[in-house]
Amino acid sequence: MMLGYYLQLGFRHLRRNPVLTGLIVVTIAVGVAASMATLTILHAMSGDPIPNKSDRLFVPLLDIRPVDNGDSEVEPPPMLSFADTQALRAAKKAKRQTALYGIAPAIDVGRASVPAWFADGIATDRDFFAMFDVPFVRGAPWSEADNDKGAQVVVLREATAAKIFGTVDPIGKTVPLGDKDYIVTGVVADGWRPVPRFYRLIGANPIGDYEELFIPYQTGIANEVGANGQLSCYDDSRKAPGWQGLLDSNCIWVQYWAELDTTAEVAAYRDYITGYAAEQHKLGRFERENTRLYSVMQWLDKRKVVANDAKLQTYLAFGFLLVCLVNTIGLLLAKFTSRSGEIGVRRALGASRRQVFSQYIIETGVLGVAGGLVGLGLAQLALWMLGTRGRALKVLAAMDWSMFVTTFALALGATLVAGLLPTWRACQVRPAVQLKSQ
Amino acid sequence: MEIRPILSALLRSKTGAVLVAAQVALTLAIVANAAFIVRTKISTSDRVSGVDEPNLFELSYVASKKIDDRKGAMQKDLEILRAMPGVVGAATVNMVPLGQSGWDSGLCADKTKVETCFDSAMYMGDEALVPTLGVRIIEGHNFTPDEVEEIDDRTGQPKAHAIILGKHLAQEMFPGETSFVGKLIYDDYSPTAEEMRIVGIMDQLISPWAPASADAYDSVILPVRLIRNRMDYVVRTAPGQRDRVMTAAETALTGLRTDRVRTIKRTFDSIRESRYRDDKTGAGMLIAVAIGLLLVTGSGIVGVASLWVSQRRRQIGVRRALGAGRIDILRYFVTENLLITTAGVVVGVALAIGLNLFLAHKLAMPRLPVAYMIGGVIGLWTLGIVAVLGPAWRAAVVPPAVATRAA
Repeated sequence: MMLGYYLQLGFRHLRRNPVLTGLIVVTIAVGVAASMATLTILHAMSGDPIPNKSDRLFVPLLDIRPVDNGDSEVEPPPMLSFADTQALRAAKKAKRQTALYGIAPAIDVGRASVPAWFADGIATDRDFFAMFDVPFVRGAPWSEADNDKGAQVVVLREATAAKIFGTVDPIGKTVPLGDKDYIVTGVVADGWRPVPRFYRLIGANPIGDYEELFIPYQTGIANEVGANGQLSCYDDSRKAPGWQGLLDSNCIWVQYWAELDTTAEVAAYRDYITGYAAEQHKLGRFERENTRLYSVMQWLDKRKVVANDAKLQTYLAFGFLLVCLVNTIGLLLAKFTSRSGEIGVRRALGASRRQVFSQYIIETGVLGVAGGLVGLGLAQLALWMLGTRGRALKVLAAMDWSMFVTTFALALGATLVAGLLPTWRACQVRPAVQLKSQ
Repeated sequence: MEIRPILSALLRSKTGAVLVAAQVALTLAIVANAAFIVRTKISTSDRVSGVDEPNLFELSYVASKKIDDRKGAMQKDLEILRAMPGVVGAATVNMVPLGQSGWDSGLCADKTKVETCFDSAMYMGDEALVPTLGVRIIEGHNFTPDEVEEIDDRTGQPKAHAIILGKHLAQEMFPGETSFVGKLIYDDYSPTAEEMRIVGIMDQLISPWAPASADAYDSVILPVRLIRNRMDYVVRTAPGQRDRVMTAAETALTGLRTDRVRTIKRTFDSIRESRYRDDKTGAGMLIAVAIGLLLVTGSGIVGVASLWVSQRRRQIGVRRALGAGRIDILRYFVTENLLITTAGVVVGVALAIGLNLFLAHKLAMPRLPVAYMIGGVIGLWTLGIVAVLGPAWRAAVVPPAVATRAA
């Protein structure tokens, strides 16, 4: 195998006609760059945000809508009412479970250097942290007892803790949320940024935003910490203004998650919510018996987290790559056939077709790797520009290692495919014809 | 012009012709669809909102501590705003057009017929809202002060007996009618629905979400002045004064109290930019891909044509020696290119339809109008001719003497 010799020959050939070489590399590079930039965004958006347990976390949905409300939607509403949430929490039918709703309490630490602001957070149960593998850098989630009685405790994100407390250890210190003081029990790592933020798809941005704080769900309810997110009412059951009126109504505003480890547990839970819906139907509370139990990936799919635009752009960018490849076939043909004389001489000197093929395939491969390098640079440039177009894109427009590898594999693979015809043609060169025409 | 010699020459160098035709076909298919999508996105983001955008800004405060007299606070804010030089109007509102968040609800023309019910964006404000926003009333009138209900969210829930409807919604709810003032509509599809009397029709007021369809203009205004923890103001200024007034207004209102936080301060231009930023990014990407395609295909045509010109120098020389003029040589190459491009265009139109069907099936895209296919065909023919002119001219200037040289 004369790999070293072929590589030498290859580089010499490429240098001999730098314009043509450059054109081939650039054509491959722009096609690869467009495809990989769009694919990176699509890949980030459609990825599994919690691969080790996405098939064990579930969203139960119940249908509280009246039958004759003119709504042709088959799917139940995407959240639960307060009453249904309380029932599910009390029944504890899953290994772990949590309710959650968005909150935006005011934080006023009384320092001019840190003006008051409304922090984005959620009121959720203690199980949340174990269910979603939330990493802590300090402290821990609040206790089971604090969770059940609704103690005034809070878990902060690293950046928020730093904003309020600087370098001082915040554990055990108090944070004023609204007009009440909460004690910090733990600090969540800033690096915990699931993409998409699958656990809170309703009433919040699924990509680019992350909570600053977490308080117990029971505390939110007891302290009337207002819901910040989506609120939907399908009937006129919200009779009274204020917090109690909301709790008494059939309006939906709470999201719910259950952790179910085995298929048996999933089946049992499904039976449980079907049974609960039937019971509520008998009581006259539910007019429909329409339940769902979605795993993480099913939920992301139902909520259409992957934008159609992202798919469209990826399809068209790959179409562009295809045109670039067809173009490259032509360029490679031009490049290789201009060397017919040299091939003729080498074949006359005893080189087999196989050896000519190997040499030119390797040369094609070198072009492919070069195209991949330039394409990677162009893709990063495109991703950087896209990242300036908003918080969501900033998070999505970053390559992970699999996208890096795919860039090179795509460039190399595509170029080799494009090079097949020109290389085959090069092998067909008949030595006699070439020697004659000089 | 003899097509046959050109065709037979092409058939002898099939590969180059096929490569060019393939690039033309794929480029036509993609660019036609991309152009259609870009046009749709641009026309969506160019839609009028119905308010005086260049002179409007939004300023919003939320109570961070318990405020007992929220009504008093609001009245003081509005008093100050309305007295500021350069301010034409100020009003309290619950949501803003293109703001992407707000309230919506179903409203019915007939509380027994669900097909007369439509989802509508529910704007809430008193008699100051319409003149402040600059919404055009085309039938009936703005609310009178006695039609306005003041609702404190601690003690009551929003209700109204009068309502102003957007024209598009009125036409949907009462098809075939031309006059709507005085009609009754209902807030629910149920026997206990509350009725509201239409007192005015607005030309258009786009909803906060502004989806791509005409339903974006399904909006109403309820005569409700909300007293709540959130104090959301829209302010209209005299032309050219907006930025100055916005800064002054923020300073004035923020300095008034320490028990609230300013959460929003933005011009309506900024609100529009936010709503359509993703559409614009998407359009930009598609334009970049389309330009890339045209450049690559164009360079491919130039390359293949140049190759053929250099391969056929001898033949060109012979033809020139036999009396062919420059124009004849030029015409030969341009015609050859047109034949290839036409073959590509024919396949390209089929591919464009196929791609559009695929996108319609997978991504719910609308059908590609014929105009875009025609435009694509003309565009690619033009690209082909422009690209081949250079090599064709170089062919045309090959001197007849080349025929006499060895090689």
